[in-house]
Amino acid sequence: MKKTLLGYIPEESPVYQLHPLTRVMFLLIVSIYPMLVAAPEWNLALTVLILGLLVYAKVRMNTIKNYIPIMGSMGFIILISYTIFGGYEPSYIPIGHLGSLTLYFQPIRWAIVTYMRLIPMIFVVIFFFSTSRERDLIVALRTLRVPFAMTYLVGMGLRSVGMVMEDFQIVREAEKARGFDTRGKSLFYKLRKFIMYIVPLFGLALRRSEEFSNALTARAYTFRGLLNQQKRADYVLSHYHLSFVDYIFIFTLILALITLVILRYHYGLMGVESTVINKLVLQ
Amino acid sequence: MEIVRIEDLRWKYSEAREYTLKGVNLFLEEGKFLGIVGPNGAGKTTLVYTLNGLIPYRYNGIKKGRVFIYGHDTEATPVEKLTSWVGLVFSDPEAQFTSMTVEDELVFGMENIGLDRKEIKARLEWVTELTNTASLLEKPPYELSGGQKQRVAIASVLAMKPKLLIMDEPTSMLDPIGRETIFEVIARLKQEEGITIIAIEHNLELLAAVADDMALLNDGQIIFQAQTREFFNNYDLLIANQIYPPEVTQMAGILRKEGYWPGSLPLNIEQARKQISKSLVRAV
Repeated sequence: MKKTLLGYIPEESPVYQLHPLTRVMFLLIVSIYPMLVAAPEWNLALTVLILGLLVYAKVRMNTIKNYIPIMGSMGFIILISYTIFGGYEPSYIPIGHLGSLTLYFQPIRWAIVTYMRLIPMIFVVIFFFSTSRERDLIVALRTLRVPFAMTYLVGMGLRSVGMVMEDFQIVREAEKARGFDTRGKSLFYKLRKFIMYIVPLFGLALRRSEEFSNALTARAYTFRGLLNQQKRADYVLSHYHLSFVDYIFIFTLILALITLVILRYHYGLMGVESTVINKLVLQ
Repeated sequence: MEIVRIEDLRWKYSEAREYTLKGVNLFLEEGKFLGIVGPNGAGKTTLVYTLNGLIPYRYNGIKKGRVFIYGHDTEATPVEKLTSWVGLVFSDPEAQFTSMTVEDELVFGMENIGLDRKEIKARLEWVTELTNTASLLEKPPYELSGGQKQRVAIASVLAMKPKLLIMDEPTSMLDPIGRETIFEVIARLKQEEGITIIAIEHNLELLAAVADDMALLNDGQIIFQAQTREFFNNYDLLIANQIYPPEVTQMAGILRKEGYWPGSLPLNIEQARKQISKSLVRAV
């Protein structure tokens, strides 16, 4: 397994046959699909498809359980938001009571629709970061001719996540060694004392930025462009080539997107009115 | 050919009360290996920062005197040009990593100086073989061991083929095995590539084995510069400046004070053995 932002990615995976750009296109385009589809059953089908892809990509499936609490709490928040703060319209159909609160069918249906839109989106992101390293993202951006400084900034942003986490651990251990420990204290106390970690972290970040700036200067980097005004070689791209399969894959993704738009907005399919929930509850 | 010439260099950081460098004069010929030693706070890092333009381009302060690299005044030369001549390896390798994989790290500098892909590939093969880093190319640099990180840091600078390679305490964060590995790389660089090298190093045993010349910097001034053997022969001067030569040199220095050690001081056990054997033969 290779380490990446979301833990580890498989050493060998059929997904690596695809160019990083194709994987980024998959992330971007497939993330749009659930926004076009309101019927939860279709989004459920998409989720199952992505889960199947995760298995096919040899991603360790037990890592998925790490995201279940997030998905659970997200679902709960959405449900509460729609049922309690969902408002009222005369067309709403009451389906029960919770104490003095009347539960209506439409807000709950919208909660389900919204939740089922988010789930495949989350799984697409999980799929991407479970099969791609930071470098893949940079390669994809450079393939799209995004300026070097911007892709570099993205790379550094990704790297700094790990660096800040590492620094935070160091600061926490150092403060713990000198008797400052928030374990077992109340949440309010922890929040109040968080400044004790932030100040040294901020100082470390400033020092790192200076070291970093020196390192860039020492390696002949300048925002004015390359030393001899040549085009940047982008050597990393020499390892990757868009194949026929990549073109077919991207074309299929775009075609599916166009098809969805037509089905949804021309023929009115996959809308909230035609969901299975409607049929089950209203009939 | 003279590669470095420093004339009466003085430097004061804007926030400091005193000058860090107080009239440094130094020269170095092409192909030579110069070791710079001195106690902490002597101004060693500041001195090397003046060679690749980090001072005065990246730091605020007052600079007097002149620094020449290949006859070019550093203050009148664009910093990116200077950095392509002068490669600097920092003491903390992690602080100089700028990329997500070792390969990207090695390629970064080469792309900055405008090399094409063919040349980058050739240099990549050369530098990874030289520094034994070929097996690390796919790895993120921050996941390597200390010795590996430092080798990658050296390789990333070497790949730019600088005319002058400066190493600022390259083994300060390494264990004894890591230190020896780095010095093996440095020895190869000197023997096979003939690169001009300046190294700041506290481990004098390893440094003495490879340096042609040594310079002692203390309190912002070059106290003494000489060929390595002659440098360590000035035992009392070094001790007075808190510089402790290799243990075998120290032992011989003490014996010489007591009148038991004739001739120059040895830098390693082999030299000491030869001198002792010669003395014993004479005595017998």
